[in-house]
Amino acid sequence: MPNLEINGQNIEVDTGISVLQAAEKLDIHVPRYCYHPGLSVAGSCRMCMVEIEKMPKLAISCHTQAQDGMKVNTESEQVKQARKSMLEFLLINHPLDCPVCDQSGECDLQNYYMEVGQYDSRFLEDKIKRKKAVPIGPHVILDQERCILCTRCTRFCDEVSHSNELGVFNRGNRSVIDLAPTKTLDNPYSGNVIDICPVGALTEREFRFQCRVWYLSTRESICNGCSRGCNISIHYNTSLSYKAGGKRVQRLKPRLNPHVNRWWMCDEGRFGYEFIDHNRIESPQLRAAQGKLQTSDWKQVLQEVSTGLKTTLGQFGPEGIGVIASGQLSNEELYLIRKIFAESMGVQEIGYRNPWEEEGFQDDFLIRGDKNPNSRGAEELGLKSDVRKILEKAASGEIKILYIFQHNFESPEAQEMLGQAEYVIFQGTNWNKTVEVANAVLPGATYAEKDGTFTNFEGRLQRFQQALLPLSESKSDIEILRTLAQKLEYPLAYLDAEEIFKEWRGRTYQELEEFGELLNGQKP
Amino acid sequence: MSSPFEFTSENQERFQQILARYPNKRAAMLPTLHLAHEQQGHITPEVEEVVAELLEVPLVDVHEVLTFYTLYFRQPMGRHHLRLCMSISCWLRGSDRIKEHLKNKMGVESGAITEDGSFSWEAVPDCLGACEMAPMMQVDEDYHGPLTPDGVDHILEATEQGQEITTAPPPASTTSKALPIQLISEHFGNSQARELDWYRKQGGYEGAQKAFEMQPGEITDMVIHANLRGLGGAGFPTGRKWSFVPQDTGKAIYLTANADESEPGTFKDRYIMEWDPHRLLEGIIICAYAVGIHTTYIYIRGEYVRAAQILQKAIEEAYREGVLGERVLGKDFQLDVHLHRGAGAYICGEETGLLESLEGKKGWPRLKPPFPAIVGLFGCPTVINNVETLSQLPKLLLKGAEWFAGIACSHHGGTRLFALSGCIKRPGVYELPLGASLRELIYEHGGGILDDKKLKAVIPGGASAAILTEEEIDVSLDFDSLMKAGSMLGSGAVIVMDEDVCMVRACQNIMRFFAHESCGQCTPCREGTAWVYQILTRIAEGSGTPEDIDNLAELADNMSGTSICALSDGAAMSFRSYVKKFRSEFEYHILHKKCDLEEKKTTVDA
Repeated sequence: MPNLEINGQNIEVDTGISVLQAAEKLDIHVPRYCYHPGLSVAGSCRMCMVEIEKMPKLAISCHTQAQDGMKVNTESEQVKQARKSMLEFLLINHPLDCPVCDQSGECDLQNYYMEVGQYDSRFLEDKIKRKKAVPIGPHVILDQERCILCTRCTRFCDEVSHSNELGVFNRGNRSVIDLAPTKTLDNPYSGNVIDICPVGALTEREFRFQCRVWYLSTRESICNGCSRGCNISIHYNTSLSYKAGGKRVQRLKPRLNPHVNRWWMCDEGRFGYEFIDHNRIESPQLRAAQGKLQTSDWKQVLQEVSTGLKTTLGQFGPEGIGVIASGQLSNEELYLIRKIFAESMGVQEIGYRNPWEEEGFQDDFLIRGDKNPNSRGAEELGLKSDVRKILEKAASGEIKILYIFQHNFESPEAQEMLGQAEYVIFQGTNWNKTVEVANAVLPGATYAEKDGTFTNFEGRLQRFQQALLPLSESKSDIEILRTLAQKLEYPLAYLDAEEIFKEWRGRTYQELEEFGELLNGQKP
Repeated sequence: MSSPFEFTSENQERFQQILARYPNKRAAMLPTLHLAHEQQGHITPEVEEVVAELLEVPLVDVHEVLTFYTLYFRQPMGRHHLRLCMSISCWLRGSDRIKEHLKNKMGVESGAITEDGSFSWEAVPDCLGACEMAPMMQVDEDYHGPLTPDGVDHILEATEQGQEITTAPPPASTTSKALPIQLISEHFGNSQARELDWYRKQGGYEGAQKAFEMQPGEITDMVIHANLRGLGGAGFPTGRKWSFVPQDTGKAIYLTANADESEPGTFKDRYIMEWDPHRLLEGIIICAYAVGIHTTYIYIRGEYVRAAQILQKAIEEAYREGVLGERVLGKDFQLDVHLHRGAGAYICGEETGLLESLEGKKGWPRLKPPFPAIVGLFGCPTVINNVETLSQLPKLLLKGAEWFAGIACSHHGGTRLFALSGCIKRPGVYELPLGASLRELIYEHGGGILDDKKLKAVIPGGASAAILTEEEIDVSLDFDSLMKAGSMLGSGAVIVMDEDVCMVRACQNIMRFFAHESCGQCTPCREGTAWVYQILTRIAEGSGTPEDIDNLAELADNMSGTSICALSDGAAMSFRSYVKKFRSEFEYHILHKKCDLEEKKTTVDA
């Protein structure tokens, strides 16, 4: 366990970590481009050079192992001069694209320039011209002029996605990063190169020219694309409604979680946020006698729904009610459903899994075949009834009222059964096939619009936070259920998700561990 | 038009033989591409795909290699291909005039093919390693020089007709009678030395025999005491390098003989390989036995086609005669030696750049530590020694460390080969004891300045070495003295410049080389070498600014000690010295927007 001194501060670290990593533990940031904790060390940008006592030259801190007794200075004049000169070298051929570059505001050339920039360029030659704004895949655009050849992207394609699309070709200052001949950057993780590119050489097609990053707010969340539960940040803009056609969510980025997704997320999850602002059910709906859905209001719809439930309960008992919850709902919502329907009403038939939903693509990296973020949560909370049976009962008339959360029952079989059901309540976020046969439609909120927790496939409990207000007239499922419970005369004491969580797990969100915790209490 | 590619059945056979030389398939990358290039004339996308498949590597890796090196054509070329050397020594002897002549004769620019498809040609900034015959060019596999416009015409005609070229053969070695010692150059000029029997009769392989009578550790000690230092450029003590190799890792230990000789002005290793290949093999055997090595790769630059052929023959003969193979010289010691041709990259002469290239990748030098002695070829402990260093071993073993150390006039032992070129009467290879006088080399052995002009400047150790003014040439040719003088012994390439040489253009020529050869991996070298070349070009062509001079000095500092390997340091040491010592010439160019030697020397550009 070497003990070393960095900028006058002492620290003991594990054997084998680099000086740069040791500095990070002291919250000392050493500027760097090519170093990335999730990739091999390249040592080529030379930006992270530091002064180490007794070493004749400046050493790159990303590659120098922290040794006992080392004395490191990351801010000496010599170090600052070296940073300045490396930055100057990188900028001589760099295009003056800031005004039109998406990276502006989160660009490491800009950021380090504010610290060690030269201001007056002394480069009088012609800048090299290279390929510009070339889509190299469904999600990524390459700009070779902006590239500083840090090789993070080529190393990613080699070491993480194992897809080997990108390489460095030619030699010297004719070097360029480009696709291998005949290849496209279309691996399932292509979007990650956008995150790791320190400059605007690799940018997101979907995000291009949409919104300046300084208008974005961020909130920590969990991807709802599959049961992996990759940790993400939702980047949204709600202050300037004229940006990007009014889209609120502008992009999703992965967050570091060493136990779940490390620094990465898949493209399907990354680009799967459109449903949050698109095709939403924006107001409650009731099906009129003539058979068409009509826009209604919460008072009316909740009145009809609660009356229906009360009546059915009274006449046919809890056997007359069937609930199909969803692996899309949070633990808190599922807990509430169980509280209201199972515990208070005595409903037995509560399921969550759509039997017609086939396992999707799964790989040995992040992507799971179960495309629901909280199946495990529903499983653990005991909502295990067979959904096909519930639908059959609804079709046969045994179940009078069917309460469906979020599911898109589009198979002909399911559609037929639903068509035969007496009364279908749908609570969910987007228009789908189930809505088409529902009698009452309660617009719910997406995961981006509420607080809660998901339990991923390996039993890890992870928290997501509300970024946006529910769109239009939609409401969070907790609020809907709470109001419903009131109308059903099961008043609940909870006001919000955290209170439910506290009752369920016995602690607050604050007390939840940083990277989530395993349900069975095991440490990773 | 895409046409599928397949090796001929003969080449499939050869491909299997290639594979057998390496412990993994990727390492066969360069030889496999050479084989395909030989069969097809150029590398097509279909070839790339086949190679990727055969070697079980991603296609992108093949493409990186293909675009990194300069010897692989990607388009069909002329029936005959010419490479005209434009590097410093050839430039000093008028390569630009030859270039003009070639352009007119061919009717097309450098890089193009003649209309009838007979010739393609390119003026290349990288030294081809034949400065004794400057100005020179490579025609297909052969070197020709010194070139005159008439000589060029004859070569072109003869080549097209398939006739023999009758221009004067290059001077073998210049063994001046004034030289007291001919140790490793004793057989230069005598093609009999290529034959194993003849070599043996002259005492060849006796050094290796002597080695086998000693303990491996004793040999290493002997080499340490002899003060033999690396003769490729870096000058690291050879015995000490061997002593770093751990013997207890359980891994194989490798030797790579560095025959990549690409430092401008250097051509002495080529002499050894062309005239005395068995001496190199003998040195390899001695090193291998001392360090516990059973597989050696000789990494030879791709341009040295004739030298490679001669070496290959010598290796095959050595195997036949039991000098290499299962029982070397009848002893219980196995040693395999394989020839591995490069594909055109100076940076593959850098130790770890060489290793990366041998492993089948682009020649990007590695981060150090770990050093090759610990983690080298294929992750195993590896010794990398220059051809000349290894060739010193036979005599060293025979006659002993004290004798060797005593030959030199300096702390460092033995002799070394000096490659003398430029504005000199007798360019060629000269063997002198370390510590000999530079003045003596130039005036006594080299005959003095061509046309009896005045000496203006000398590069004492290859393009990476700081230049010396004519007031500084009273220096001893050894590692310490030259370092004290602010330069270095380097590769032993001594390049002489006369009073009519424009130092701005000379500097521009040198930086053109470094910019062309920078591998591009790290920031200061990739951007710095090219930027400095651009500034020098501007100054040379009359649009320099006063700030340029101080900027250059600062850039030299920014490029020193900040890169992954020493290319950047070498380039910086070099151009810093020109700007410092010949500042007035730079100032003249900037102020007057022309050269004060304009009438006498013409343009550089390659």
